[in-house]
Amino acid sequence: MNNRVVNALAAASVSALLFASFGGSAGAADPAEQVKDRQQTMKKLGGGMGAVAKFVKNEGATAEDAAKGAEAVLAVAAMDPKTIFPQGTAVGVADSAAKPELWQSWSVAQERWSAMKPAAEKLDAAIKGGDRAQIAQALGATSKTCGSCHEDFRVKKQ
Amino acid sequence: MRCLARIARTLPFALAAGGAWAGGAGAGGAWAAEPDPVARGAYVFQAAGCLGCHTDEKAGGLPLAGGRALKTPFGTFFTPNITPDPANGIGRWTDADFVRAFREGRRPDGAALFPAFPYASYTRMTDRDLLDLKAYLFAQPAAPVANKPHDLTPPFSWRFLVPAWQWMYLTPGPVPDDPARPAAWNRGRYLVDALGHCGECHTPRSLLGGLDADRYLGGNPDGPDGDKVPNITAHPKGVGGWSDGDVGLLLEAGLTPEGDVVGGAMGEVIRNSTSKLTAEDRAAIVAYLKTVPPLE
Repeated sequence: MNNRVVNALAAASVSALLFASFGGSAGAADPAEQVKDRQQTMKKLGGGMGAVAKFVKNEGATAEDAAKGAEAVLAVAAMDPKTIFPQGTAVGVADSAAKPELWQSWSVAQERWSAMKPAAEKLDAAIKGGDRAQIAQALGATSKTCGSCHEDFRVKKQ
Repeated sequence: MRCLARIARTLPFALAAGGAWAGGAGAGGAWAAEPDPVARGAYVFQAAGCLGCHTDEKAGGLPLAGGRALKTPFGTFFTPNITPDPANGIGRWTDADFVRAFREGRRPDGAALFPAFPYASYTRMTDRDLLDLKAYLFAQPAAPVANKPHDLTPPFSWRFLVPAWQWMYLTPGPVPDDPARPAAWNRGRYLVDALGHCGECHTPRSLLGGLDADRYLGGNPDGPDGDKVPNITAHPKGVGGWSDGDVGLLLEAGLTPEGDVVGGAMGEVIRNSTSKLTAEDRAAIVAYLKTVPPLE
């Protein structure tokens, strides 16, 4: 059995214990599921960014695709980071890539997460304005907010 | 500051425009015309990515005062202070000392520098870029911060062995432009091989810590902080399937073709260095990378 499986099992048994002791309060989800949910959310975010990028690069995406992409980015940016990064979903749980530092420096992480919304709003406005250079600039600014967390709080894909 | 104004003029994603290259003079690029050495040096400083390694950003260290731990398979290096502080930094270095450190990997007292300072790449820098870089560094505030000793595993801690390493792995530059290639290609090669020192992470190393020239930019399973560093050759397993715009957007904004935004060490390189290059220079990097022999 590899480490990841052991860790996942350990995390699962710990959470089972927690369930037992707290009577399994409603809404408490399985950490592995939460990691999967997060990956779906990030995929949605990435899909949105990718659509805008395709439009900026002039590689087959229409302005409408870009607008839909920005909408997806906005929707994720408006989410509460606590629901996306619940405690107990750090690296080791399923194939989580979130460093434990994310929770240790939660206020920093939260601040960086909330920087995404105004950036995404500007991106959305730029797409509605239709100026490609401005869209490009806003896309860069938005991805900067993504990168600020990935740089410190995400383990590298191995 | 004039240099900042110039850098701010960088056009976003001008790569889409393709032939935007201003026809700069080979390795010198469009910056050859800038008269102020400090302004030119500021750009060289960014393209060479000096800030990241020489600042202990996470611990709130002063800019360029060093102290950042670089974990490598050979031990942990602590980067030195490169501010003009005369006691702790490089304030007493002459022009010749400075050029020799980059060209030959030697300290002013003649002792060999450990190649964690990537002089095997920086040796390709032109004298002019080196002296402009020195002018810029000497225009920065001095930080009275003492250097930390490295924590290396023998035999890699034995400085007297470094000249042997240099004999094997250091080919002193600069490297003349290839007249058969366009100016943009030559500039791109200079940005990738000399200033950007991309191969230091993207090329695997031998057991002795030299770059494996046969696997140039082919990816490194054992990069900084134990991370895998991807293949950036034109192979499908590298960036062969990427459009020019894809590579340009990654260098400018960190965005991958899938819409992911890179983090880790490359995130930092993008933040401190490649995002601050001119669009022409990023296009030159793309032009050069496309010609790097594909490796699986």
